[in-house]
Amino acid sequence: MNLVPVTYKGGIYRHDEIIDLIEDLGGYIIQKHVLAQEVVLQALVPKDDIGLIAAIGKPLMGEITPSPLVGTEIAVVTMSLEIHHLPHASCDVAEYIRRFGAKTNMVGLARGFGKRIAQMNDEERDVINEHDLAVYLLGDFETCIEQKFQVLRRGINIPIVVCGGPDKETLQRIIDPPVDGYVGNVGRFMHRTKESEELDKLDEVVDEITRVLDRRREEIAKDPPSVSPARLMDIINEQVEEIHDVLSPTPVTVQMTGLRVKLPYDSYAPVLREIPVEEGVTMGEIADIMPSRMRDYILIRIRPFSETNIMV
Amino acid sequence: MEQVEYFEVECTEPTGGAYYRRIADVVLLDHNLIRAIKKLHIFIDPAVPIFVAAGVTKKLPGIVHLRDFAEVTATEQKITISIGDETYLAPLLQILWAQYGKESVDQPDRFTIILSVEGQSMETIENLPVFDPSESIYKDLIYALMVIQPEGFKVRRQWYGKEKFYLVASEDTLPEDVEELVREKFALMGESL
Repeated sequence: MNLVPVTYKGGIYRHDEIIDLIEDLGGYIIQKHVLAQEVVLQALVPKDDIGLIAAIGKPLMGEITPSPLVGTEIAVVTMSLEIHHLPHASCDVAEYIRRFGAKTNMVGLARGFGKRIAQMNDEERDVINEHDLAVYLLGDFETCIEQKFQVLRRGINIPIVVCGGPDKETLQRIIDPPVDGYVGNVGRFMHRTKESEELDKLDEVVDEITRVLDRRREEIAKDPPSVSPARLMDIINEQVEEIHDVLSPTPVTVQMTGLRVKLPYDSYAPVLREIPVEEGVTMGEIADIMPSRMRDYILIRIRPFSETNIMV
Repeated sequence: MEQVEYFEVECTEPTGGAYYRRIADVVLLDHNLIRAIKKLHIFIDPAVPIFVAAGVTKKLPGIVHLRDFAEVTATEQKITISIGDETYLAPLLQILWAQYGKESVDQPDRFTIILSVEGQSMETIENLPVFDPSESIYKDLIYALMVIQPEGFKVRRQWYGKEKFYLVASEDTLPEDVEELVREKFALMGESL
C-alpha cells in the first residue's frame, strides 16, 4: 500500500469521523492540532483513497492538501543562538518548513560563528545525526563558508541542505565534496520575511528539502524498514500507557526510518524492546532501541528488511 | 537611510556587502539610531578578516541640568526640589545620595525631594549636571554596531567622542596600526579622526 503524506484542515465538528476513516483505510495520524474551532491533522494516507477522504471531509469544511514533509524530522542548524541569527533567519526557516508537515528542531551551535574559530562538538554532531536531514543556515560571505563548512560537516552522515548568502552556483563551487542540496541568497538577514520574493526564497528551501528527501525515500524503498515507522508509532501509543502523560507536542516523533520516543531511556527501553509488533515478533527484534543524545529520550532505528528478513 | 548624509558599505565581496548594507539599515532603524547618525562608513574584508565601522553623529542634545526639569526653593535649613519631569529622577537621586548622604535626602512623595543641608546655595543645586544623553547614545551606537558586525569577530576595539565613533572587529588579534585604517575610512567621508 502506497502511503502519501497529507495535511487535513477542517472544522472540529465531527473530525473524529475523519480520524476513524483514515485509520480504517490503513493510514496513520502523525500529529493532531486543535486550534480553537479548527483541527489540523498531519497524516499518512493511502494514495488511492485521497479522493474519498476529500469527499467525506467536504461537508465538514475540510480540505486535504499534499504535505511532502509529513513524517520527517529535520534539524535546522544555526551558527549560534545570538541576536545575529535569531529570530531571523533561523526561526523564519524553521517555522516555514514546519508548515509543510516536518517536525523541525533548531540546533544552535555553541561555537558555530566565525571563520577560523568555528567548531562543532560531538554532542552537536550526534544530535544532528539523529535527524532525517540537516538544513545549515550559513552566513553571507563565501570566503567564510568555504573555510568553515568543512569543519561543520565533519562526521555528519545525513543529507545536508546548505543555505547561504552567495548564489546557488557559488555555493556549489565552493563546497567540496558536494552536499545534497543548495539554496542561494538565504544568508544572514535581520528583518522578517514577509515580502513575496522572500517567501519565494523560503519556498525554494522547502522545494530543495523535498527533492533531497524524495531521493532518500527512493533509496529507502530499495531496502525498506521492517515495519513502517508510523505503524510502530501507533503500536507504542496503544501499548505504552505512559506516553499519553508526556507533555511534549509530539511524544512520539516519526522519522523516515525510525522514531524518537520522549520517555526516559533507562526505565522504558526494556519495556519497548519486549512490545509485540505482531505475533512472535517483538520490537527489539526488528529495531535498535538506543539512547538519544537529546535529553534522555529514546531513539528507535528500524532495521531494514535485508537485515531482519521480517516484514511486518 | 535617506536621513543619513553619507552611508557606504565597502566590501571585498559585492554580494556580502549588499546584504550587510541591508542589515546595517535594519539594525539602526530598529534601535532608533538613524536620527543620531550623520555619516557612516562600513568596511568588511572577510578574507583578513576585519570589520570597520566609522561614523559621525549629528549634534547631540547637551547635558541635562537640574534646573531643566525641576524647581528649587531654599530656606535656611532645607532645600526643596519639585520635580517636573520624572525621567531624570533616578539619576538625580543617585547623585544627591552620593553627595549629601541618604540621611539628608528625604522624598515625601514622587515629585518632591527635601535636602536637609545648611549653607548650600540655590544656584549650585540648580546647575547640578544630572544626565548626559550623548553617553547613552554612543553606548547604544556601539551596541548596534556589535549587532551588525559578523558574530565571530570577538576581538574588538571601539572609541567615541567629539561627535565621532568607530568600531574595529576581527576574530584575530588586531594589528597595532589599525587606527591608520580607521583614518583612511574617515578620509573617505571627508572627515578626519
